[in-house]
Order: sequence, then structure tokens, then C-alpha cells
Amino acid sequence: MNRTGFILAVESYLVRKGLVATLNRIPGTLVVKEFDTAPGLMEFMKPGRSEYLVISQTLFDEATALFLSPGHLLERTILVVDTDTAAGSGNVKVSIGTGESKDAIIRKFTDILHSQGDQPAGAREFGLTPREKTILRLVSMGLTNKQIADQLFLSAHTVITHRKNIIGKLGIKSVSGLTIYAIVNNIITIEEASSKHAE
Amino acid sequence: MIDKKMPMGRAVLEHNQLLPLLTRFNIRLGFGEMSIEEVCRTSGVNPDFFLEIVNAYLDKGSHLMEELSHFSLENMVAYLKATHSYYLDVALPRMQKKINQLLDLSELSRKEINLVAGFFNDYKQDFMDHISLEEKEVLPYILELEKQALQNMPDSGFIERLKNYSITAFANKHDRLEYSLENLSKLIIKYLPPFKDQELCIGVLRDLAELVKDLIDHADMEDKVLIPRVVELEQRLLHKAGIS
Repeated sequence: MNRTGFILAVESYLVRKGLVATLNRIPGTLVVKEFDTAPGLMEFMKPGRSEYLVISQTLFDEATALFLSPGHLLERTILVVDTDTAAGSGNVKVSIGTGESKDAIIRKFTDILHSQGDQPAGAREFGLTPREKTILRLVSMGLTNKQIADQLFLSAHTVITHRKNIIGKLGIKSVSGLTIYAIVNNIITIEEASSKHAE
Repeated sequence: MIDKKMPMGRAVLEHNQLLPLLTRFNIRLGFGEMSIEEVCRTSGVNPDFFLEIVNAYLDKGSHLMEELSHFSLENMVAYLKATHSYYLDVALPRMQKKINQLLDLSELSRKEINLVAGFFNDYKQDFMDHISLEEKEVLPYILELEKQALQNMPDSGFIERLKNYSITAFANKHDRLEYSLENLSKLIIKYLPPFKDQELCIGVLRDLAELVKDLIDHADMEDKVLIPRVVELEQRLLHKAGIS
């Protein structure tokens, strides 16, 4: 299962560690790196990184160059400000006030996680695309990559890529595991499922 | 909250979900009136570490798992390995035996039986692969990292390796083993025809639920305690070597 990475850049040790502890309580998150000054952060934040950046107002102001360059870092930036409540501020969509309650902060982080897959909380489909569902269905029916490719007018290579993505999203490797996943998520019925398993 | 002075016997009687933890710490039953601390000492277990694990296990929601950060990674690795052995030698074989028994007595079609039996065989294989990767690569790397971090002059070869490798590469690929088991429970509860021996079936479902919970705790310990600690140590070591 893929985890959502967070990079923390906050000069206050206590605030930073508090944020790490809070993030560590939320399933599916991973704190990748912490910074307490702007230069180290700027060095680290190469284009192409996909983590969310949680940054204090001070370091945000010092590291402005990061946010000028193209890319969508601003979309993935969470600003930490010294107030009791924090709505969006400036160009940053999400802000956290250091005086906010634990629940409010956790809710903001979980909202971010959920907005990622466009899936409601609890639905463990990890955002399988319609195409991936189709392929999962055919895999569960016992078709080979070649047969799937022929049926969907795709190259075998594309089918393999889709299968890898499905496995990556679901964290299930075996065909039998995928088949059971497909059954309990109503992608296929038991009657349709392949009878090849464990013969 | 359980503390060191509490008699071990009472702790286990009051919280029987602690039973599976005892074997992992190589603690034998027959405690008499010995306190947790005494039992731990006679079994060669660090009582503080034992208590942290026990309290984290009992009260995951409100207990600060980061308390575990006081203990050496070596402690934690030993515990994780013992847990792996428990899964491989006890929990999975027992589960398989019960599932086979359930299938033998069932009126399921051949296809349905194959689906469940095949699933469990594959699951066991995936499980063994998962653990073998951790034990052969990840855990030895962590032990080496801790060893190097304790030295005044870390090995330059290790530092070189560290420049290109981080535990986060593993963390991002770290599969959760419990999802497949939850799917199996769902399959039995919702999609398969009813089993003749419902009590046996409920027993399997209970075991599945217990294993799922255990696996979640185990993965959380790896993801939320072990990995952040390792990331921190990697950074400290690189910093010490003048690299970051």
C-alpha cells in the first residue's frame, strides 16, 4: 500500500515533534524528513517530489524561492501558523494553527489523505480506475495477460503495467487474493471467478 | 494502564489478549505472585520495554507509541523477529488447520473450496516472502545502522551506501498483510453459502479477526515507531559524516 509522505519544516522543536507525533497516529502517513532551517529544505525539495510539505510561516517566508518555481508545491503545502484557528491563508490552501485542538488538526490531515484518492473514508478501493477494474475482473476470471491484451486491444506490456499498478494500490499480489478482493468488492461474482485456483 | 509492580498473573488474567505476547518474549506461565518486573528479570526481558509493548498493545488509541523510542533498535528488532516466528510457526499453521477442517466438513462446491484453499496457500507464501525480505535485508540493515551510529568513526563504506539508500524506499513498498485476511472474512460472512458447522466457522472468523488486529499493531509498530527512528538515525549519521 502506498503511504502519503510528509516533509516537515518547522524551526520550533516542540511544534515539529508534536506534528510528527500527530501524523504518526494517522494510518497511511509517513514522515519522510524533518528540517529546522530553510537552506536544508530548499536543497532537499527537488522538483518531482510528491510529498506534502508542512511548513511554518517563518520558513515559508525564508524559502519563497521554492514556491516561485513551476510545479504544484503550493497545492501540497500546509502552513503552520501561530494562531488558535487557521483557515486558508495567502496562496496556501490548508493551514494549521498551533493553538488548534488535536481533533481539528487530525481532521485536516485526514481530509488531505482522503482528497488524494477521491474515495470516501473506509472504502478500501484505493482509487482503482475503471480500466484497472476491468483488468482486475479479467484477471479474476483466469485470463492470461495475452488474452486480456487481445480482448481490450492493448499491448501485453500495458496490461502488465496495469496489473503492477493494481497490486501496488491494493497491496495484494496473488491472483487468488485479487480474485477474493474482486468478489467482496462486487467486481465479479463467485460464479464468474476462475476455477483454476489451487488445482 | 499496567505497571511494573502489578503481579504478572493478574495482568494476564485481566487482559487475556496479552497471552500471545508472552511466547514472543519467551515468558513461561506459572507466575505465582511474581510481579511483572520480577517475571521479566527472570526471563531476561527488559521490563520497561515489555511494559511499553504491553500498554501499546492494550491501548493503541491513546497510548503514545513514541514512548517506544527510548529503547534500542536492537530491542525492537528482537521483538519483531519473535513476532514473525509466532506468525509463521503458530498463527498461520493453526489458521490453515482450522480452515482445512472447515472446508473438509463443508458442502461448498469444488470451485469454492479451491478458491479459499488456494487463497490461503498463496497468502502464506506472500507472508513468508514479506517476512523473509524484512529478516534478510531490512532488519540486518537497521542493526548495522544502529551499530554504526554508536561508533565515533562510522564505516565509510556504510556511509557511501547510506547516500543512496534509505529505509523510506522499503517503507513505501511495505505491504499491509491484514487486508487480504479481512477480505477472506468478508467472503465467508457475505458471499459463500453457509457452513454446516457454524461454530467451527465462527471460530475461524474469530481467529482471523484476532490475527488481523495483531498484524495491524505489528505493522503500525514497524511503520510508526521503527521506521521514523531509522530515518532519524540515517539523518544523524549522514550529518555526522558531514553530508547533510
